[in-house]
Amino acid sequence: SSWLPQGFPLRGSHWQSSLLELRTSLPVRAQPKKKKKVDVRKEQAQKDRLKKKIKKLEKAAPELIPIEDFITPPQYLDSNRVRSLPALSPEETERRVLLLKRWCLFKQKQDEAEKKAIQTLVESQQEALKELRLESEELYQAAIRRDEGLFPFERDGPKHTPPLPGYDPPEGKCVDITKVYTQ
Amino acid sequence: DALLSCHRSYRSRPTHGIGRYKYLLPKETPKKKKDRVQMKEINTGTEYEYGDINIQMTSYDLCLVEHFAQYVHRLCNRLSVRVNESYAMPTRTNEVLFLEERGSKMQLDAVLTTHQRIVQISGLSSTFAPILLEIIQSNQPEGVHLLMKEHTEADFKSRLKSRPELEELLAQMT
Repeated sequence: SSWLPQGFPLRGSHWQSSLLELRTSLPVRAQPKKKKKVDVRKEQAQKDRLKKKIKKLEKAAPELIPIEDFITPPQYLDSNRVRSLPALSPEETERRVLLLKRWCLFKQKQDEAEKKAIQTLVESQQEALKELRLESEELYQAAIRRDEGLFPFERDGPKHTPPLPGYDPPEGKCVDITKVYTQ
Repeated sequence: DALLSCHRSYRSRPTHGIGRYKYLLPKETPKKKKDRVQMKEINTGTEYEYGDINIQMTSYDLCLVEHFAQYVHRLCNRLSVRVNESYAMPTRTNEVLFLEERGSKMQLDAVLTTHQRIVQISGLSSTFAPILLEIIQSNQPEGVHLLMKEHTEADFKSRLKSRPELEELLAQMT
């Protein structure tokens, strides 16, 4: 017959290490603690690998997209395509040379007129600012300030013909087929 | 090596190395192919000056836009406006399809290429800016779309190639 002395407390299970406290240690059958350590290490190793890859890629300088305008297509380089021009009579050449000279003179006059116009514009602006300064200093300072609403500035070029009244354009769409370059 | 690479090498004679001149020229630094990232923006001063401004010219006609860009560049040179850069943006190709009158099929009409040139200026004074704008506008050819705006980092980055692998890895990191 089992008998226990009164001073001896009962143990619930053999997992309870201390006599007085409650169950603190987990029943360690499968090993979850070791898995956590390996996970953390694996994650760190992955992160390091990612960082290394990023550093390697970042070392290479970013390249500019090549511009197709400046690359002559090979069809114009292969064969020697020579245009056969008709022979010009001396009167024709004389007429052309004189026309060229008249055109050059006209363009020179036009250019000089433009330069003169710019000059007068700048001078008149400076004079106006001087007068304004004499009038009031505050207004002058406000006029000198730059215009925030000026940029961005957008303007379409002049069109050849005015828009046709009552024009019904056919339905359609625009598809962007530019070549995408990746590094 | 400079002494010995010449073909007349009478080393014992006092005339050895007589034709040397390269040691007198200034030293050439080797070219590094690295694009500098950004220029600083000028925005201070009571007598205001604009910072980096991009004059963008867009058109379907290549020669026209090229000549206009050259004209604007020379104009800025003549008016002593500092030109930082003058470059071209990559061309965009567009396929124009239109719907046939009878039928639901889209027919190919044309393939259009849009060309864009950019002239970047800085140090434009506030009094001179409207004058320059006026000149450029009056000389704008037909079919050329003009846009003037301030230079931003996004503008610079749009010229560079995209790097999908780097972006993927960066997305994975965060």
